[in-house]
Amino acid sequence: MAQTKNNTVIQLKDLKKRFGIGDAEHYALRGIDLTIKKGEFVAIMGPSGCGKTTLLNILGLLDRASDGEYLLDGRSVEDLSSHKQAAIRSKNIGIIFQNFNLVPRMSVIENVALPLTYKGMSKTKRLTRASEVLKAFHLSEREYYMPWQLSGGQTQRVAIARALVNEPSIILADEPTGNLDSKASHIIMEELSDLHAQGNTIIMVTHNPNLTAYASRVIHMADGRIESDTSQHKAPSAPVYGRPLGGKKPKADEETEDSSAPTTQPTDAVLESTKSIQPVRRSMAKTRVRVKKVKIKNVRKRDRK
Amino acid sequence: MRNLLFAHHLENAFESLLSHRLRTLLTVLGVTIGVASVTAILSLTEGATKLVQDQVDQLSGNVGVIRSGAEITNEAESLTRTQTNYATATLTEDDLAALEELPHLEAIAPLMNIRTTLKSNDPGSTSKSHLVVGTTPDLAKINNLTLGSGQFMDEISNANAAVLGEQLSVDLFGTEQSIGKTFTIRDQTFTVIGVLNMTNQPVNFSSIDFDNSALISLESAKSFTQNIAQIQQINLRADSPSNITPMMQAAEEALLTTHKGERDFTVLASDAIAEPTSQLFRTLAALSTIIAGISLVVGGIGIMNIMLVSVAERTREIGIRKSVGASNRHIIWQYIIESLAISITGGVLGYLLGLFAAFLLGMVLPFTPQLSFEVAGIALGLALLTGVIFGLYPAIKAARKDPIMSLRQTH
Repeated sequence: MAQTKNNTVIQLKDLKKRFGIGDAEHYALRGIDLTIKKGEFVAIMGPSGCGKTTLLNILGLLDRASDGEYLLDGRSVEDLSSHKQAAIRSKNIGIIFQNFNLVPRMSVIENVALPLTYKGMSKTKRLTRASEVLKAFHLSEREYYMPWQLSGGQTQRVAIARALVNEPSIILADEPTGNLDSKASHIIMEELSDLHAQGNTIIMVTHNPNLTAYASRVIHMADGRIESDTSQHKAPSAPVYGRPLGGKKPKADEETEDSSAPTTQPTDAVLESTKSIQPVRRSMAKTRVRVKKVKIKNVRKRDRK
Repeated sequence: MRNLLFAHHLENAFESLLSHRLRTLLTVLGVTIGVASVTAILSLTEGATKLVQDQVDQLSGNVGVIRSGAEITNEAESLTRTQTNYATATLTEDDLAALEELPHLEAIAPLMNIRTTLKSNDPGSTSKSHLVVGTTPDLAKINNLTLGSGQFMDEISNANAAVLGEQLSVDLFGTEQSIGKTFTIRDQTFTVIGVLNMTNQPVNFSSIDFDNSALISLESAKSFTQNIAQIQQINLRADSPSNITPMMQAAEEALLTTHKGERDFTVLASDAIAEPTSQLFRTLAALSTIIAGISLVVGGIGIMNIMLVSVAERTREIGIRKSVGASNRHIIWQYIIESLAISITGGVLGYLLGLFAAFLLGMVLPFTPQLSFEVAGIALGLALLTGVIFGLYPAIKAARKDPIMSLRQTH
């Protein structure tokens, strides 16, 4: 991951996407200019059909723009062959979908290990790595479950684990909580904001305005254009995500009870980078991890019943 | 890295194939039947060739033949043209005289085939079409013919002397002890002076089943064709195996002179004469191989069909794989390996089944099928080829799928 001087991960210049030709011609994106820096948690909002998903597909190299420029890690990716784009998808991008998209005939651990296959890792290494990631998500006991044996929230956590297993530079989430009830939604959002706290760059498309509270930056789109962008009004470190769930603050007793539970350990490299970028965020990370532990504990309790 | 991915694809292919056992079994069966028929036919053909080869080997490799009629070099022509043993031959007594002058020549025997009916006084004898061969005493030496009783023709034997094959003797007289008995060929009376031992080689390089033939002298045979010899084949034997090639070259030059430059004869030496001699046999073998090949094509279509279904079923999976970093090449390999898994399994089973069928058939045929690496190679090669050819289109189709559309598909 080439770190550019200003930590820019994504840079879009007048990006356009056209569907259809002739009379049926229709622009889903009418010129997007966007710069996303490392460590940002961007929420993209907007009504149906405004081009959010199209934008996300282009960012994820699943689709190509008709016009404009897309720089990923300072490199233009528009002219790359599909083979090279696949290699970038494999190395730098993790995608989380609304409908989870696990391969139904593979077990949880195989699903999580799948992206590593295309990096050419041996099976043992793949499964070891997948197991590590699943452990971080407290899904160790579900490793050999099949996707249909999991609840919606668990399935989406597996999908997030899969998106993370490659240690991507950006994580794209397309309505990650769209198919979940509010309780599971909040667990997923806690996971995402936890990842954000560890220094990951997350771009999330959502309909739900409540979820934007977790994001460090909110972009509103309409008719293929960016209508508003919070980063132009507020500093990036503005504590919009400071208290995401007013009524859901952890109780003290639960917190102590959970001290032995496994925790996600941010890697040294990540810590290093977060330290250098925003010292404030590190302290945030600590509180975030604490909140998360409690959430997981709750889930476990529910599972046992 | 590629190896690791290959292992993944292989594991994936078997998992996916095993999850649809019946479907996979039926597809494999299609390939199995195709490969089995090709294997059976090829190993039987090889068996027939081996039979003649063995005879040549027995003759210690110093035998050459000259056949009437130009050599057939075009394979397509060989399918449509059948050689007849009784058409006007292009070899004459002049040629024979010219060949007798060759250096290193140890023995030479013309074969003049006449298909006609033989009659004996035996009440049990049936009037059937038989082969009468006009030849010279050297034939016994060249073809390793041995006598069960009596003697072979020699320079001093009578013009109306005949040597019978054992089976012919039984057909004509009801016994193999027929020395001194007489039979008629077109009202000419012949006396049996010898009976050959059973050879049990209906397929051989002389194109004559000696068990069912009557051998008479070339002079007597000429009397049936207005005293002009109609020689279909001349068998030659050199004094040592190393001299056979130069001798046959000399023979070719000599014949070109007597034929005034017209190449209306075929010169074959040592190994070349081991090719199946009967044109009809070759034609049938070629046709049956083509038919067997068609069944393999049908098997291949089965593979393609199943692979297309499989690709359609797993459209979403393809989308997922692409979104987590699989390139088009990865997807192509995944599906090619799956179709290869079907076709190679079918190939191995088909080869075994084909050998089994060939040995069953070999029990009723005069020759036994051969186990050879060539046939195994061809069978597996064909299976591999079928897998690649018929798996390629579904694989490309899978790889070309748009990831966004694939992910949107619901089951």
